[in-house]
Amino acid sequence: MRTVRRLYGLRWVLLPPLTGVGVLAMLAGAVVAAPTELVEGDVQRLMYIHVPSAQAMYLAFGAVFVASVMVLWKRDMRWDAVARGAASVGVMFTGFALVTGSLWGKPTWGVYWQWDARLTSTLVLFLVYSAYLLARAVSDPSDEQAARYSAVYAIVGFLDVPLIVMSVRWWRTLHPQPIVSRLDPQLPGSMLVVLGISTLAIFLLALWLIVLRTDAERLGQRLLGLRAAVDRREEA
Amino acid sequence: MDGQLGYLFAGFAVFWAGLFVYLLLLQARIRSLTREVDRLEGRLADTDAPTPQRGSPPR
Repeated sequence: MRTVRRLYGLRWVLLPPLTGVGVLAMLAGAVVAAPTELVEGDVQRLMYIHVPSAQAMYLAFGAVFVASVMVLWKRDMRWDAVARGAASVGVMFTGFALVTGSLWGKPTWGVYWQWDARLTSTLVLFLVYSAYLLARAVSDPSDEQAARYSAVYAIVGFLDVPLIVMSVRWWRTLHPQPIVSRLDPQLPGSMLVVLGISTLAIFLLALWLIVLRTDAERLGQRLLGLRAAVDRREEA
Repeated sequence: MDGQLGYLFAGFAVFWAGLFVYLLLLQARIRSLTREVDRLEGRLADTDAPTPQRGSPPR
């Protein structure tokens, strides 16, 4: 726990430069280094932002899930700030995955959108956590009861994530079966390396954004506490 | 091929522009919250300071 606290204290020193280097490597890899796919052509390079965005979406909503469990378990509002910060980042990356997927789908599949299992379940996830953010935006950030209800909602909403992951195995969809997360990845080595770098870069980016957003949420909670203290002082 | 490059460009543009706007909004929010927190802390510190008693010599 002490190591985690020390690393959190170093977040401003570690995360921005690491993320910057990662993003530059990702751009160089995706635009220059990765080979052009023979059938799909250059548009296949969208994979290097589409797939990592989807992975970052899982990371962010995983953080929402863990933080929400901690809200219910520890009754500590600091975890609520983490949950709200991560949900905001998760919704953004879900939006990126949906839009870049549609733009990749049109020249490849001939359609921007298809109501298949993976696309629909991802849209549902986007709507579920957008509703969560909306509900949190209109409620008092220091309201512990609202935080607990939201935590339960966020935990239930997370059930959609395994559904998205398994959707290509359970139903026939436009998406291919897993080509990377298997023992023998069905992707050329050079593409696999660039995809790995891109995923790492976007993970770092998502982590940095979650940290920034959580700091903003904690500042908001502190502000409410200060306002209450000033009001009490002025009434006395 | 040109049409394909258009989709590629649109995808990258949406991603980076979206990220940029999100960071700008977040930075503005953090800045305004920090300013408000500093202002209220200053106000609390002012009320904590002992008020000068009537008749005390001016400093």
